[in-house]
Amino acid sequence: MRRAWKRIWRGMRRAWQGLREWSGDAAYEKYVRCVRRAGGGEPLTAAEFYVEELKRRYSRPNRCC
Amino acid sequence: MKKALGVFAWAIVAVVGGVALGAIALHRGEPISATWFVLAAGCSYLVAYRFYSAFIAAKLLALDNTRATPAERREDGRDFVPTNKWVLFGHHFAAIAGPGPLVGPTLAAQFGYLPGTLWLIAGAALAGCVQDFVILFCSIRRDGKTLGEMARQEVSERGGFIAQLAVLAIMIILLGVVALVVVNALKSSPWATFTLAMTIPIGLLLGIYLRYVRPGRVLEASVMGVALVLFVVVAGQWVADSPAWAKMFTMSGVGLAFAIIAYGFAASALPVWLLLAPRDYLSAFIKAGAIFSLAAGILLVRPQVLMPPLTRFVDGSGPVFAGKIFPFCFITIACGAISGFHSLISSGTTPKMIQREGQARLIGYGAMLLESFVGVMAMVAACAMTPGVYFAINSPATIVGASPEAAAQTISSWGYPLTAETMTRLAHGVGEQTLLNRAGGAPSLAVGMAQIFSNTIGGERLLSIWYHFAIMFEALFILTVLDAGTRVGRFMVQELGGRVWKPLGRMNWMPAILLSSALIVAAWGYFLYQGVVDPLGGINSLWPLFGIANQLLAAVALVVATTILLKMGRLKWIWVTLLPMTWLVIITMTASYQKIFSVNPRIGFLAFAKVLSGQIASGKIPLEQIGETRRVIFNQRLDAVVTAVLAGMILVLVVEAVFQWYAILRRRKVPVMRETPYVATQWAEGD
Repeated sequence: MRRAWKRIWRGMRRAWQGLREWSGDAAYEKYVRCVRRAGGGEPLTAAEFYVEELKRRYSRPNRCC
Repeated sequence: MKKALGVFAWAIVAVVGGVALGAIALHRGEPISATWFVLAAGCSYLVAYRFYSAFIAAKLLALDNTRATPAERREDGRDFVPTNKWVLFGHHFAAIAGPGPLVGPTLAAQFGYLPGTLWLIAGAALAGCVQDFVILFCSIRRDGKTLGEMARQEVSERGGFIAQLAVLAIMIILLGVVALVVVNALKSSPWATFTLAMTIPIGLLLGIYLRYVRPGRVLEASVMGVALVLFVVVAGQWVADSPAWAKMFTMSGVGLAFAIIAYGFAASALPVWLLLAPRDYLSAFIKAGAIFSLAAGILLVRPQVLMPPLTRFVDGSGPVFAGKIFPFCFITIACGAISGFHSLISSGTTPKMIQREGQARLIGYGAMLLESFVGVMAMVAACAMTPGVYFAINSPATIVGASPEAAAQTISSWGYPLTAETMTRLAHGVGEQTLLNRAGGAPSLAVGMAQIFSNTIGGERLLSIWYHFAIMFEALFILTVLDAGTRVGRFMVQELGGRVWKPLGRMNWMPAILLSSALIVAAWGYFLYQGVVDPLGGINSLWPLFGIANQLLAAVALVVATTILLKMGRLKWIWVTLLPMTWLVIITMTASYQKIFSVNPRIGFLAFAKVLSGQIASGKIPLEQIGETRRVIFNQRLDAVVTAVLAGMILVLVVEAVFQWYAILRRRKVPVMRETPYVATQWAEGD
């Protein structure tokens, strides 16, 4: 029973993480991890990253007909 | 044993799919259950994915999971971000799923349910998914290069330029047409207009929250936004019931057109975080929710499809749009089966985020299958209402008359019984003054969705709420396409214009931003205005123009794909892209020719212009309408020129490519591939 709950809990956490990634909620955390891993200096702040990412995303076709 | 079980299971899926397809194709007389449509589409997609996409992946593309993708080699946490395949599938699907697969099948239902449904299923499996998959693969192998860049490098310089121009032209026509769909959905409807108008302050509120209060916390902002949007859907009823407020939000077509033009300009020129992005987040959640609810509703309610398999309008005399089943059914369905626009997404963000080449099959081929399924759902929703009601909503007043009595008489004379009382009762039931002459597909789809939803939850009592929820959902995500498209169009204008006048190309210079925004808005705004004042309802001429443009872009993508595959030495399997490409060139060229030169004034732009000119010359047009008629004549000629230019551009590209293929095949030219060199992945299997 406990094992089943653990599995359900793990599945729900995965789904939540997937939703956060899909919606862009986790984008900043991912970016910071990437910068730290690459040793690329100080990362942008959350607000700077958010605005920069939006500018980039909406400068090319990102919605279809 | 396991293999035998697998073969047995797939045989069952194939047989069930075949039987369901046979049932919807051969059924005559009585209404047919929507379950057959779900089974036919679902099983066909499963078989196509399991076998055809696997064949393409193995034989044609030879996907290689040991090869590092751009996301691995160039990971930067910004553009190149390795992403879980299911998350990326969701991203890709959200990007490719627009209003096209909802509106196209709804309009094509005038031929009956059969031609559109068959093309949605077959077109997606054999053409649309192939295009998305192959272009995604080509872009992955070229560091995420765009379609235009690949056309320039692999076909010719001119080819790249043509592709870039074609994209801009298509964008302009697309934005004009989708804006017209919104205008026709909101016209004279204070409830719907209020609901949609309120999404702007909600968007601004979320924009400020996401920028200053909790930067980037998209989920919590979206939950608040969705709750507010659902509240304004309900509040819209109070507005409609109050004479003073209702008057304020009751707008004419022209008034709405100018409001949308102003909105498009603001969304393009304002900072992206303030209005565009937060509305996009809202739209993504509501879109996903509405599409899944529609699919669930159809499965639960299993409505009867009341439209016959084929209507009398296959002969080209349809009231929704004129033109025979060939080529106009294919042109009208457009995105639900194959969309050139998808190639821009497949060569945009997705190739930069994919972790393994092998995942291109699920994301490229699979996401398009799901989009096609949305098209089949829209077809079911449109065909679940009585044919008389469908034609009354979608036909212009010049054909069926403006009053319920006149419309009922005309439509009943076609053999689709309808009473004036039915239309009045239905309009009252959904909380509208009238549902007559609401061309564009959105209102009839909303009625179909509302009927399915209210049969699931709430019954007749909630019909009006569901109708306005559906209208809000359609309009919200059409406006998302409109504002995002206007902004991208602005960048294209700046990029192209910067070659002529350098300062225009400066992306941070405010006068350049305002000028290019004004140019792009004026371009699609003109098409929108033209559609609003068109006596035939606008959609009649503009949707086919959009369909032609969209399918021509798909032809461009398939030309590029075929050229690359030929250079890769895949001559034996080249038919996989060559056949859909040839088919698209045939249908788009036939449609273009008919739209320009047909002697039937309801089809041919020039013929209609000639008829109107004749009417002016013979004094049949009242003096006060001469100015307006001359404008319509000019618009028809303009549409003819636009169609000819688009078709001409694509013909040039096809001829150039054919010469290149010939040179490669005769070994007169050494094929030069622009693939990035092989780098082995550092990621372990299963990463």
